[in-house]
Amino acid sequence: MTSNPPLIEIDNVTFFHSGREAAAEPALRGLSLSIEAGEFVALIGANGSGKTTLARHMNALLLPTQGNVRVVGMDTRERRNWPAIRTAVGMVFQSPEDQLVSTTVEDDTAFAAENAGLPPEEIRRRVDEALRAVEMWEERKRPPHQLSAGQMQRVALAGVLAMRPRCIVFDETTAMLDPAGRRNVMEMMQRLNREGMTIVYITHYMQEALLAGRVVVLNRGQVALDGAPREVFSDPQRLAGLGLELPPLTALAEGLQDFFPGVPVGALTPEELADAVPDPDTIQRARRLPAGAPQPAREAVIEVGNLAYIYMKDTPLAHTALEDVTLTAGRGAVHGLIGATGSGKSTLLQHFNGLLRPQSGSVRVAGCLLNDPNVTVKQMVQVVGLVFQNPEAQFVEQYIGDEIAYGPRPLLEKPALRERVQWAMGLVGLDFEQYKDRLTYSLSGGERRKVALASVLALQPQILVLDEPTAGLDPLSRREVLRHLQDFQRDGMTLVLSSHQMGDLARLTERVTVLHEGRDVRTGTAAEIFSEGQQLHDWGLEAPIAVQVADRLRVRGWPVPREAITTEGLVAAMAGLAAKEAAA
Amino acid sequence: MSEFEFLDRVTIGQYVPGVSPLHRMDPRARLIAALLLLTAITFAPRPAGLGLALLVVMTLVTLTDLPWRFLLRGLLPPLPFLLFLAVLQVFFNAQENQPPLVAWWGVVQIYASDLIVAGMLVLRFCVLILGISLLSLVTSTSEMIYGVDALLKPLRWLRIPTQDLTMMAQVTLRFIPFMALAAERIVKAQASRGVDWSAKGGNLIKRARRILPLLVPLFVSSLGKAERMALAMDARGYGSTRRRTMMMSTRLMWTDTAAVIACAGLAAAIILL
Repeated sequence: MTSNPPLIEIDNVTFFHSGREAAAEPALRGLSLSIEAGEFVALIGANGSGKTTLARHMNALLLPTQGNVRVVGMDTRERRNWPAIRTAVGMVFQSPEDQLVSTTVEDDTAFAAENAGLPPEEIRRRVDEALRAVEMWEERKRPPHQLSAGQMQRVALAGVLAMRPRCIVFDETTAMLDPAGRRNVMEMMQRLNREGMTIVYITHYMQEALLAGRVVVLNRGQVALDGAPREVFSDPQRLAGLGLELPPLTALAEGLQDFFPGVPVGALTPEELADAVPDPDTIQRARRLPAGAPQPAREAVIEVGNLAYIYMKDTPLAHTALEDVTLTAGRGAVHGLIGATGSGKSTLLQHFNGLLRPQSGSVRVAGCLLNDPNVTVKQMVQVVGLVFQNPEAQFVEQYIGDEIAYGPRPLLEKPALRERVQWAMGLVGLDFEQYKDRLTYSLSGGERRKVALASVLALQPQILVLDEPTAGLDPLSRREVLRHLQDFQRDGMTLVLSSHQMGDLARLTERVTVLHEGRDVRTGTAAEIFSEGQQLHDWGLEAPIAVQVADRLRVRGWPVPREAITTEGLVAAMAGLAAKEAAA
Repeated sequence: MSEFEFLDRVTIGQYVPGVSPLHRMDPRARLIAALLLLTAITFAPRPAGLGLALLVVMTLVTLTDLPWRFLLRGLLPPLPFLLFLAVLQVFFNAQENQPPLVAWWGVVQIYASDLIVAGMLVLRFCVLILGISLLSLVTSTSEMIYGVDALLKPLRWLRIPTQDLTMMAQVTLRFIPFMALAAERIVKAQASRGVDWSAKGGNLIKRARRILPLLVPLFVSSLGKAERMALAMDARGYGSTRRRTMMMSTRLMWTDTAAVIACAGLAAAIILL
């Protein structure tokens, strides 16, 4: 028997997106990588580092400009190899709704098998098997657009499984999912890998990369780091230089190591980390948890009372989005909104500037009662700035300056308008002279998000409402956007934001409301909400890593205050406790 | 009801799952039966035939348990046009006038026959709309595709790529609700930045100007979506073999055949009555 070739072999590949090779920067440059059967590889890197381009070389969706790609020994340049290559390497994409072609779950699952020309009985068998494997058997007759994003991704995965591939590439599959959906897809990946499937997984979430056996970091079209998670995440300086960050758990371990030398930096789970911290002494155990700091009293600026909303009301296709929701947001605070996909967050946010009007109940924002049809959206947008999910999909103008001027243009004279645009760009850290004449579609993901923010800020709203402000951004851009939001609040703006990123919310919010199936099930401080444990899990949510570690430490007897919900907060709290112990 | 919700105004192409005899009928038989009846309704020459057609459609609706209110709502948007056409018919119909004379002002004379022709026009369109809505409400897109594909199969002998055609139809159908949703999102985003969408009236140019900033992003997002969808189809091996198969395979039952024969009989009666 000859030695087996690697499953995927990428040999010195260079790739240019445009035909004009001299003009453009290559997306991949002289990149070599080989992936063996049975591996679980996480592919990470900043926006624009070439992750997606590389992944699309793995099943001949893209062909190298120079160099070669071989899948199970077959050259991807040979057209006749394509059917076999695409059967061997399946792919699940980022946007759930774009990859579903058919109108029921089972038809969609059958799509790939139908393309292969298999007989109907064989397709039926494979579809049933695949749907059971992703736990979507019960939903097989439903139209995909009625599913949650997490369920859609599972259907897409089932469609790939029905091809019986040897390797599955996940291209940021979890980027748009809620915590439960994300957890579910990750578990499925791990299970498939245990059963022998090769997994290549692209992600922006460093925490998820910890689960892989091997982490490959790309930077400007080349492999910058390649090794086990422990090795790759051992050098925070180097990672920062590549536009990445440490996984929260690793950052926490680094911080705790200073006073608990036994804590392993390579810990992969919160339990492993917490259990490495030595037991507290008896004085610590006896100490009671400190009471939380009192919250500042705030004047209510958004008041929602018993709000209900039904889409497609009075048709057989009606579905309830909100049911009896009551919520108050204080002036100058950051109010977080969390809940699984479909829990009604976006519907609620759209009530705040009058896009949707209460079908029953009331909404009062900054003194305006939105039940009153005479209060127009046009009036409200100068009070409430609403930034949608993926706001860059809705750009209207070609140039950045015009895009940001779009809102205030009817309100201001020319010189004042220019000043306003400059001001708004300054708020999000975009240089006016450098950026105003650039094309909106030429920007990177992070820059586009900033332009979208600036274009809403240009109306100078006192309240900023954001739907998933950091979704789809790489770690560096995410941190930057969060920093800007913190600055806005410091300057007196009221912020309401929905997010699936519990870590971001822990950093930002004063109060948090949990929505579950259209109802507000809990409101409290971020610390109170994140200490709900199992209940949080049942709502399809998850506590931030720092809280998971802190919970474990409390069980072990450490009097960690409940307010320690961020990495920095927990490290500081533990430093204090360790110092007291040393003094005693 | 919000001015920014578009989806609930798109009633064509909606499907309500169910277990009625109509839902369970073989898709091919269902399509043929529908074609027969709809053709007959279109060409029925006399009021009695149309009356029978109305009766047939009403019976079928009762069989499905669909709410009448919902079906009737589909008639409302085209009603003004229908009435307008009916009025035109009263004055300008080409048929020979038959007494009795009902009303007259000078040269304008309205005969009973004019009123009957106008009434038939309204009735014909209402029954047609009800029939088409009914078919679409009980037929899922995949059943429709399967049925059309089966009916078009003979064309394959002429080397016409029927599978690509049905695939195109399927993707197009999936795009309709997407376009409505995308337009809704864009309009909401623009309204959130101060564009006045609620303003009614204005001259034609002004109104066209308001639509323009909607069209550009809609175009861009549709192209983007089409590209991502094509990629996903490519990745799942679409077009890699000549012989694409289908998972759905049904067998015609005697009830299906009987239903088609019954519908053919009814169609003949609608024409001949």
